[in-house]
Amino acid sequence: MNTSAEVKEVTRRNFLRGAAGLTGAAVALAALDELEAHPETALASYEAQIAALQAVNNDPTQMDVLERMRIELLRALQKPVEDRRWIMVIDLRKCVGCHACTIACVAENKLPPGVVYRPVLEEEFGEYPNVTRRFTPRPCMQCENPPCTPVCPVEATYTNAEGVVVVDYDQCIGCRACIAACPYGARTSDFGLTYTEDLPVADNLIVGMDTAEAYERASNFEYGEARSRKGHSSPIGNARKCHFCLHRVRVGELPACVTTCIGRATLFGDANDPHSLVAEMSAKPNVIRLKEELGTEPRVYYLV
Amino acid sequence: MTKKAIYGLSVLAVVLGLYGFYSRLFIGEREVNYGSFVTWGLWVAMYLFFAGVASGSYMVATLDYLFEIPLFKGVGKYALWGAMVTLPAALMSIGFDLGHMERIWKVYLNPNFSSLLAQMVWGYTIFGMVILLTLWMVFRSPEKPPLALKLLMVVGFIMAIFVSGGVGALLGVNASRLVWHVGLLPAQFPIFSAATGFALLLVILAFFGPEDDPRLGQQLRVLGITVIVMLIVKTYILWADFSMSLYSGVPQNVDAINEVLFGQYWWAFWIIQIILGTVLPVIVLAIPNLSRQRLWAGVMGLLVLVGFAAARANIVFPALTIPELEGLATAFSGPHLSFEYFPSLMEWSVTVGIMGLATLAFLIGLDRLPFFKKVQDLSHER
Ligand code: SF4
Ligand code: SF4
Repeated sequence: MNTSAEVKEVTRRNFLRGAAGLTGAAVALAALDELEAHPETALASYEAQIAALQAVNNDPTQMDVLERMRIELLRALQKPVEDRRWIMVIDLRKCVGCHACTIACVAENKLPPGVVYRPVLEEEFGEYPNVTRRFTPRPCMQCENPPCTPVCPVEATYTNAEGVVVVDYDQCIGCRACIAACPYGARTSDFGLTYTEDLPVADNLIVGMDTAEAYERASNFEYGEARSRKGHSSPIGNARKCHFCLHRVRVGELPACVTTCIGRATLFGDANDPHSLVAEMSAKPNVIRLKEELGTEPRVYYLV
Repeated sequence: MTKKAIYGLSVLAVVLGLYGFYSRLFIGEREVNYGSFVTWGLWVAMYLFFAGVASGSYMVATLDYLFEIPLFKGVGKYALWGAMVTLPAALMSIGFDLGHMERIWKVYLNPNFSSLLAQMVWGYTIFGMVILLTLWMVFRSPEKPPLALKLLMVVGFIMAIFVSGGVGALLGVNASRLVWHVGLLPAQFPIFSAATGFALLLVILAFFGPEDDPRLGQQLRVLGITVIVMLIVKTYILWADFSMSLYSGVPQNVDAINEVLFGQYWWAFWIIQIILGTVLPVIVLAIPNLSRQRLWAGVMGLLVLVGFAAARANIVFPALTIPELEGLATAFSGPHLSFEYFPSLMEWSVTVGIMGLATLAFLIGLDRLPFFKKVQDLSHER
């Protein structure tokens, strides 16, 4: 993380570039280490980043919601961890069903084949000429009362201080009890596959195959840990799920799905901040949560 | 002769299992067909089945060592040894199902006791020790069960009910899987387990019981009738469960039941579970002459066991083949993301191998363990 003195003015363009995840997860990891080593510096840097963003535009009604959410995110990071309450609000009327969020998530977390954190469910209703489609992005609901955690035999999955349900990959024995218990199908199991391995093509016929292979094996940075895919080491063999991109959030970046949503349908922020966009939107009368009747108290809200 | 054939078959089964064992241990879980939607497949069903047989066999052993029923004097050892070989088969089945089986020690060192799975790992470990201790005590005093053995049998009997019910709860606590939740599986499973315990003893006595024991015909007959009663009770439970689910009409539940009755694998229910596993054995075992004959009794016992294995599978998979959310099945495609399931060759191979190992262990014990000799000597002396 930059010190406050070094903070350069964040122009709209390079902010968006950063938000889109192009800064790279490795940078985020370094930032996380820095955050742990010098929390005061980080705090000062948040202030500076907010000031820089507001210098460009200080009218919340005129800002791109991404800018507003980022300011709110940086503000939330200045509070003690347990005072934050991350939630997501997804406006189904704005979702165009492009699946960009799904792919952004796959890229950010380097998900192998068969593992998905945020699919977009597609449904079709009605009969011609009154036909309509609904797209429902489905991340982990980060249930306040999650059925998936008490069933874990080794406490490998639990709700962390920020209210996000996480998986400790080194503790997980891969029994998949949590997957069976989740009413939203939000967990998948990593069976150790890669996209490139065993591709039925002759050698050298795919340009950049080596790079692709290396990319697949290189580390992802979930939970702020660098884990490369080799042998049978975690997260292979583990249950995996959306974690609201905690590794990005902790260094002031919005979750990957939020930044790539072309319809600005996915909103993210701290519900404990009464002035945040998500606090405002989740209080609308047209808000619903999935399978509310199960008492899971999802932290993902849908505007319908 | 029969024994030789069964020896041969079990060695063959182990050989067939080698491919699965190798694939699972050295390649991992790539070749399995269960996945992230049908999270639990054949191996979990077999875990439930073997664990049920183990606890059921222990229950049956009480006829000899706790209740001292003269007709069953001397046969408790067979039931106990049956429990002793099926329990590891259960643990192997579930162990292979773990993504990280090398971390199983964590369940002992950092258990989360609110998890049914942790409770079951501990429960079955303690239960395994109880079986071992019981065998040891039986070995020490083959003549008359001492008081300590009787007390142990009481403890073991109660444990057998709890652990076999517990695996039902393992599924049943998932409130969002209605078909597991409404079926009151923790109540059903101990009955299923006892039934398989009786069926296993029927098979064991029919195929390996002492040749010249004059009680054998009578034993087979009584076991046969008990199995009939158990099958009728089981069918009634099934009826109660299914009819209630269908009547109440909750879509997710109805879909799961329909999947069992008329889905892709309708034959597993109607042909294996109902016709071969229930109707045929009830008819044959009800005929006094046939039920006293070793071959008929043994084969019927086997069919009952196969029927119960199919019943376990019919409880595990169908609930998982119903998408949790509309549109989930088609939202993202990839390997292991399917709501359809049929075990892969490698999964079958592992299961066949485990069955072979358990049978082989059983036979070797029968031939080598001193107390089986004593049982046979005892029946000779009588
Ligand atoms: S959506 Fe599923 S995985 Fe996520 S917290 Fe709720 S129960 Fe757990
Ligand atoms: S798969 Fe892992 S996280 Fe899930 S219940 Fe099993 S041990 Fe816990």
